[in-house]
Amino acid sequence: MKKSIFPAITLVILIASAFTFFQSVEWKISDNYSVKFDGGDPSGEFTGLKGSIKFDEKNLADSKFDCTVDVASINTGNGMKNTHAKSDKWLDATKYPVIHFTSKSINKTESGYEAKGTLDFHGVQKEITLPFTFVNNVFAGTFEVNRMDYGINTAEPNHGAQVLKVSLNVPVTK
Amino acid sequence: MFKNHFYHGLTSGIMAALAAIIYSRIHFFATQADFSGIINLGTMISLNLIGCLIFSIVYYFFTGMWKKKGIIVFHLLITILSFAAVIIPISISLPLTVKNPELFPGLAVPMIFFPALAWFTLKPLFNSDF
Repeated sequence: MKKSIFPAITLVILIASAFTFFQSVEWKISDNYSVKFDGGDPSGEFTGLKGSIKFDEKNLADSKFDCTVDVASINTGNGMKNTHAKSDKWLDATKYPVIHFTSKSINKTESGYEAKGTLDFHGVQKEITLPFTFVNNVFAGTFEVNRMDYGINTAEPNHGAQVLKVSLNVPVTK
Repeated sequence: MFKNHFYHGLTSGIMAALAAIIYSRIHFFATQADFSGIINLGTMISLNLIGCLIFSIVYYFFTGMWKKKGIIVFHLLITILSFAAVIIPISISLPLTVKNPELFPGLAVPMIFFPALAWFTLKPLFNSDF
């Protein structure tokens, strides 16, 4: 019986260390990130990005993004537009305080990576694909969001841009 | 004759610039919002001087063309234009690096009226009737 204890412990340690090897790296979002949107009018940025980023180029299967953006942190460069954007007519920051993205899978592409997942925006959940690159500990990506798909001021389709180009630049540290 | 109008524009421009500089300091101490990247000493002096000198030039031509009616038209025009210009600081989009853009109209809107106020205030001193 005693003879089998040490091989068993060795086996357990080996299996456990194998799991730690496959575990994705957890990244912390640095302060100098930018989440910008451009629709001509409006254009601006969000400053309230939070979340957990698990990403390992060698282990994409275990990589995952779970990030939120504080809607009230919107900045268009104009105080009146900021107030307007946060109102119930547009983003309704009181009822929908965050924009939430959760990835379901991350795959390698020719130009970098793509994260497929759910974007929860203005109370509407939609599956989106977020293409991105990861170079020198910086995540960078661009994708488009059509506000009509998320029920944002659908009564006025021609009031401001419908399609907004979202550009992400997120430096991270371990 | 225009010499009188020139000095009027110049002194009211200096007066308006001084008022703008004092007001910008008060606004900064009250709100701690720094808009020096948008409105700085140079822009406050130059815009007020240019504004008041333009007022003097327009006044000179208006009174030359329409005499006393020119004065009424000029006063109405400057007042209406000053009120209309309020929309500029309210609607302008500042660079995203500028924090608290909602406090910007509180700084810029009163300043819009400084050139007209200074020009009207000093007008009796440069009026040939006195």
